[in-house]
Amino acid sequence: MSEEKFDPVIVGFFCNWCTSAAADLAGTARLHYPASIKPIRVMCSSTVDPVYLIRALQEGADATILGGCHPGDCHYITGNYKARRRVAIVKTVLKSLGFDDTRVLLEWISGSEGPKFARVMNEYTDYIKQRGPSDFKYLDSLGGEEVE
Amino acid sequence: MNENEILKKFIKDAFDKGLIEAVMAPSATKDSYTYALITKKEDVDKLTPIAPVMQWNGADMIRRITRLKKSERKLLAILRPCESRTYKELVKFNQINPENIIVLSYDCPGTVHARNFKYEPTSAEDLLAEMKKGNISKKVRESCQVCEYPTPIKGVGDIGFGIVNTDEPVFFSLSDNGKEFLASIGIQEGERDDSQWVKIHRENREKWLKEERITGGRKGLEDFLSSCLNCHNCKDMCPICFCKECFFEDHSVFDYESNKYYNWADDKDGIRLPTDKSLFHIGRLIHMGTSCVGCGLCQQACPMDIPLYRLFGIVGNDLQKVFDYKPGINDDIPPVMDFREDELHEFEGLFGGEE
Repeated sequence: MSEEKFDPVIVGFFCNWCTSAAADLAGTARLHYPASIKPIRVMCSSTVDPVYLIRALQEGADATILGGCHPGDCHYITGNYKARRRVAIVKTVLKSLGFDDTRVLLEWISGSEGPKFARVMNEYTDYIKQRGPSDFKYLDSLGGEEVE
Repeated sequence: MNENEILKKFIKDAFDKGLIEAVMAPSATKDSYTYALITKKEDVDKLTPIAPVMQWNGADMIRRITRLKKSERKLLAILRPCESRTYKELVKFNQINPENIIVLSYDCPGTVHARNFKYEPTSAEDLLAEMKKGNISKKVRESCQVCEYPTPIKGVGDIGFGIVNTDEPVFFSLSDNGKEFLASIGIQEGERDDSQWVKIHRENREKWLKEERITGGRKGLEDFLSSCLNCHNCKDMCPICFCKECFFEDHSVFDYESNKYYNWADDKDGIRLPTDKSLFHIGRLIHMGTSCVGCGLCQQACPMDIPLYRLFGIVGNDLQKVFDYKPGINDDIPPVMDFREDELHEFEGLFGGEE
């Protein structure tokens, strides 16, 4: 598979009140963002247990995005602060075991930031395209390339 | 009089003075030592307060006793330093009600692996003798060799029992309750210098943190866990894994239709069964890693002798550094229960929060 043809799968967990609204706004404003992003609407960024992020990577996602409201703007007052701690935990675990921790992304995108939503999705997809397919999906399988 | 005799006399005195109504301490069984709860003075001789084996974490036993209601009797619990840190951590997690409980902790010589002990018994006196010479015995478990806090700490537990670097063991208080307790029992508080004993452990630990780290991502983790039976013993023995309903025991999450398995096998060029073995360990790390106290019971419980403490201890150490948190040694709130409004910006966005 050549570099150009690699079409990553990126699972996005977007909070109902901010990032999902921004996704709608980007849509109504006809801003383009890649079809690689597979959005999942969750009620709050803090409802996403870090295990779900790991699970998505293991099921074949090349990267995951957790999108929430800006700090201080959470619909449930403090949800996004908790989400940030959880992402910090999952990124640290991945990094300290030698996995690529940039495959988990935390972004604050408010309901009015349609253009920012499109820009972040484009930038991140480009970044993941450069990094290539994720190795994580082959955890506990017989496939995947031999890593030295 | 050896250390165990002194502690037994201490317990009897406390019973006589009416300061306590129950004691929890290790007691010998045929091949090992188990925790015992006694309520009468004449049963004290059945105890071995300083045991050479730690089969369970004592704080986990106190959690069971106080799970429904506070302790109805005054309980003296004799815990190792790692167990008293667990005790403190579980109090913070609202799993133990500390009311009516007095914790006594001592300078720990380390413990032998429970299985090794079964085939090559050692006495606590051997380990203590080795400790008094200033050596960490080669027989003790890996987690004991690299223990970060092998001695009682001020504020964790109530009473300390000093053995290293002193001719006669000394008692000292770690809290106001302990001070009162020692005063009413009529014991003069003593002092001893434990810095050397702590120092040799910390040196071991620094070396261990560098050398035993699991690296290499997927291959590294797969190789490390290659003999794992997926028995979940490490989770059952972990005192921090106290959830009644564990995510990883929930079969509605981990039951799939046959096509799911076939699709996986298609996608991934063959899958290993049972599935989700590594997910269990990574998930557990995420859930309890920030509060890992380093008792090493996960490693002792592993039937396949996987050195699991290298996984949970080293990654846990990294996690605790991120939050600047040390489990069980002070009153800081555990990271998973707390947050700050202005923190951790390096984990936001792709390039550390910089636009």
